[in-house]
Amino acid sequence: MQHSVKRPVYLNLFLIRLPIGGVVSILHRITGLLLALLMPFFLWALQASIESSVRFGEIKALLHTGLGRAAVLLMLWILIQHFYSGIRHLLIDVDIGVERAFARRSAWLTLIASVGTVLVLSAFV
Amino acid sequence: MSSLRSLGSSHRGITAFLVQRITSLYLAAFTVYVVGWLVAKPVPDYAGWTAYFDSGLVRMAWGLFFASLLAHLWVGLRSIYMDYLKPMWLRFTISTLTAFGLMALALWCTQILVRGIV
Repeated sequence: MQHSVKRPVYLNLFLIRLPIGGVVSILHRITGLLLALLMPFFLWALQASIESSVRFGEIKALLHTGLGRAAVLLMLWILIQHFYSGIRHLLIDVDIGVERAFARRSAWLTLIASVGTVLVLSAFV
Repeated sequence: MSSLRSLGSSHRGITAFLVQRITSLYLAAFTVYVVGWLVAKPVPDYAGWTAYFDSGLVRMAWGLFFASLLAHLWVGLRSIYMDYLKPMWLRFTISTLTAFGLMALALWCTQILVRGIV
């Protein structure tokens, strides 16, 4: 594209204030990328858990250590944040929640809901 | 905008867009199913865990999940690369490595799911 008027370029990332919808959008990408990177570890754990009762016990014990439990909760948050922001984007695709005030509230809602869901699920981890 | 690209490319991206959205529906439903199932019936022991995976329907559902997931990953990663990897050689290299990586993951998923059957 050619611009007849030279426009100012202002890209100091520490001074640009991203609206909450933008924050949730970039979070959707980051969580998606992290989930992609986590897939081999998930497959490794799944395969080991099916392989033998000894490996099953090892995986189960690993998930029940303090660090294992924290990792599971963090991964759950990554998955659930991606889940909620994904649903938000799907609804926006079909013109639900496009209006600015609504979109801002739904963006905040995905953040609150993901943390809330992880807190509820933490009782079962 | 329309003057900037030829008519031949006007439909490009719609397939990827649809694949991403449609797979997301299965992925979301399957995630709710697995999380709900684990909450309702926590995995008791090894025997119960493998008995669950003995079901053909369960393996099919997991197989569809993995297929949807890999397609979803490809579209998602591709759009990230297109936005942030500007040098063409870098985008091409990373995309190619990703494609092979996803194919390897597909074979691994298949291996896990057919184990004990063939």
